[in-house]
Amino acid sequence: MTVADVLLLALGAVAVGAGVLVVTSAHLVRSGLYLVVSLGAMAGLYLVLGAELVAWVQILVYVGAVVVLLLFAVMLTRAPIGPSTDLDRPALPAVLIGGGAGLGLAALFADAFRWTFYAMPEPGTAERVGEQIFGGWVLPFEVLSILLLSALVGAIVLSRPDIGARAAATATEHERGA
Amino acid sequence: MEQLKLPPIDYGALLPMLILFGAACLGVLVEVVVPRRARNAVQLSLALLSVVASLVAVVLERGTRTITIGGAVAVDGPTLFLQGSILVLGGVSLMLIGERSIERGGVFVSQAAVTAGSQKDAQQAGGQPGATEVYPLSVFALGGMLLFVAANDLLTMFVALEVFSLPLYLLCALARRRRLLSQEAALKYFLLGSYASAFFLFGVAFIYGFAGGIQLSVVHEAVANPQRSQVLLYVGLGMVAIGLLFKAALAPFHVWTPDVYQGAPTPVTAFMAACTKVAAFGALLRVLYVAFEGVRWDFQPVLGGIAVLTMFVGAVLAVTQTDLKRLLAYSSIANAGYLMVGVLALNDEGLSSTMFYLVAYGFSVLAAFAIISLVRDPDGEATHLSKWAGIGRKSPLLAGIFTFILLAFAGIPLTSGFTSKFAVFGAAVEGGQTWLVIFGVITSMLLAFPYLRVVVLMWLSEPGESTPAVSIPGFLTSAVLGLGVLVTVALGVVPAPLIDLTREAAQFVR
Repeated sequence: MTVADVLLLALGAVAVGAGVLVVTSAHLVRSGLYLVVSLGAMAGLYLVLGAELVAWVQILVYVGAVVVLLLFAVMLTRAPIGPSTDLDRPALPAVLIGGGAGLGLAALFADAFRWTFYAMPEPGTAERVGEQIFGGWVLPFEVLSILLLSALVGAIVLSRPDIGARAAATATEHERGA
Repeated sequence: MEQLKLPPIDYGALLPMLILFGAACLGVLVEVVVPRRARNAVQLSLALLSVVASLVAVVLERGTRTITIGGAVAVDGPTLFLQGSILVLGGVSLMLIGERSIERGGVFVSQAAVTAGSQKDAQQAGGQPGATEVYPLSVFALGGMLLFVAANDLLTMFVALEVFSLPLYLLCALARRRRLLSQEAALKYFLLGSYASAFFLFGVAFIYGFAGGIQLSVVHEAVANPQRSQVLLYVGLGMVAIGLLFKAALAPFHVWTPDVYQGAPTPVTAFMAACTKVAAFGALLRVLYVAFEGVRWDFQPVLGGIAVLTMFVGAVLAVTQTDLKRLLAYSSIANAGYLMVGVLALNDEGLSSTMFYLVAYGFSVLAAFAIISLVRDPDGEATHLSKWAGIGRKSPLLAGIFTFILLAFAGIPLTSGFTSKFAVFGAAVEGGQTWLVIFGVITSMLLAFPYLRVVVLMWLSEPGESTPAVSIPGFLTSAVLGLGVLVTVALGVVPAPLIDLTREAAQFVR
C-alpha cells in the first residue's frame, strides 16, 4: 500500500462519513457544515489523483459558493438554531433507496474494475488546462462567454419589468407637461 | 501550444438544422422589432418558411451518406428520412399552433409563470393576445429534434435532447384555459424530464468508462471486443435506454404522458405526440442499431418485456379513461409499444416499418388533436367524454372525420393504422419475435374497445343540453384536418411509395 492508497481510503471514509452525517443530523446548520467536510474531502481525493485544478474548483465552487449560499438561505429564511424535528420524514424508505443506490453503485464499480490498475495520467495542472482552453479551444470558449454574458443581460432585463415601465411613465409625464 | 483546428464540416449536410436554428434566432429578434399587430403573421410565416426551406434542404441532400463535424453528426438514410418526417409533421403542427380564429387571442397566453388564479392571470387568459414566442420555441424544438435523430455521439445526443425538451416544457405551461392544469403539466414534465436526462447522462458516463469514447462507432467496436468489464456496458445501456424510453413514453416511464398531454395546449400536445415520438424513436433506433448491435440478444428480451408492458398499460388504462385527451395519451403509449415491436425486429425491415409507422401515426394523431381543439364549450375545450355524447347528430361531418381517425387508430383495413401495424408486426415475425406480435394483436383488440366506445357515444347517444358547439375551423385547422385524413387514407390504400422510400433509407452509416 502506497501513501496515495492510504490517503485515498482515509479521505474516502471521511467523505462518506460526513455524507451520512449530513442526512442524519437534525440540525440544519450542522448538516451544511458536514457538507463542507464531505466536499472538502472530495477535493482532497482529486488532489491525491493529481487533478489540481479540479480540486481547487471543487473548493471554490462547492465548498465556497454552494455551501455558503445554502447557509445564507438558512440564515435569511427561518434560521432554526436547534434541532428541527419537524423536517424529518420516515427514515426507512430513504435508507433503503439511498443505501441501496450507494451500495449498488459501489458494488458495480468494484465488480467492474476489480484489481485492474491504470497508470496515473499526467497531473492536470492549471497551466495545462489553460493551454488547452486558450489554445485549442479558444473559439468555443469565447463564444460561450458571449452567450453567457447575453443570457445574464437578458435575465436582468426580464426580471426587472420596471425598466421599460419607468420609461413609459416618464414619457406620459412629459406629454402631460407639454 | 496546440494550434486551433476546426474539424471538417459538411455544411450541406447540416443545412436543415442550421436553417431552423437560424430562423428561431431570427424569430426572437422579430419579437423585438416587429410591432405587436403584425407579429403573429410574421412569426407564423417565418416559422413555416424555415420549415419548408429546411425540408427542401433535406430533399436536396437525399443522396448524402456522411459523418461530419468531427464525428458528431451522421447524415444517412434514416437521418434524412426521419428529419424529413419531423419537418413535415412539425410544419403541420405549426399550422395548428398558428390557428388564431378559434379562440380570441389564440390558445396561448403570454406569460407562463404567473400564479394561476391571480388577477393578472385572469387578465392574460381573458382576451389578451397570446404569446408569439411560441413560434421560435417550436422551431428551436424542431431543430433540436433534427439534431437528435442525427447525433452520432452520445453527448451531442444529450445536447439535442435538452435543446428540444426545454422549449417543450415551456410550451406546455402556456394553455389559455385551465391554467393550473397547464402549469402542473409543465412542471411535472420538467422535473421528470430532468430526472430522465440525468439517467441518460449517467449512462453516458458508464459507457464512456466501458468504451473509452462516446462516438457510436467507438462504442460499437468496444462492444465487439470488450476491454473492460461488461457490467459497465449493461448498466450504461440500461441508463441511456431509460432516458430515451422516457421521451418515447414507454411503460414504466410513461407516467408523465397523460397528465402532460391533458394539461398542455392542444396544438402542443399534437406537436409532442407526432414529432417528439419520431425524434425519440429515431434516436433509440440509432443507439440500438449502430452502437449496441453486438449485444442485441441481451437487450432484446428486456426491451421486449417493456414493449409488452407498454402495450398492456396503454390499452388497459385507455379503457378506463373519461377524458378524451387522456384517452389519446394512453393510446399514444400503446402505440409506442407497437413501435417498439418494430424496433426490436432488429433488421432492416424493422427499421423501415418503424419509420413508416411513425409517419402514419403522426398524421392521424395530428388530425385527432385538431378535432379536439374544435369541440368547445364556454370553459374552453370540452374534452370530457360525456360532453361528446350525440355530437354526431349536431355536426356529422366532424364526427365522421373523428370516427374515421379513431377507426384508423384501431387498425381497420384501408387506413394507415392497418398498414403500419401490419408492417411492424410482419417485420417482427421475420425477426423471430413472434411472441411480441401475439401480445401486439391481443392488445390491439383491447385497444379497439375505447375507440369504438367513443364512436358509439358520438353517434348513438342523444345530444344533451350540455353538448358543446363545434367551432368552425379556420383555414389552418381545416388544412391540418384535410391533410391528416388524406394521408391516413392514402397510406392505407397505396402505402407502397412510402414503404419503398423507407426501405431505400433503411441503412445506417457507422
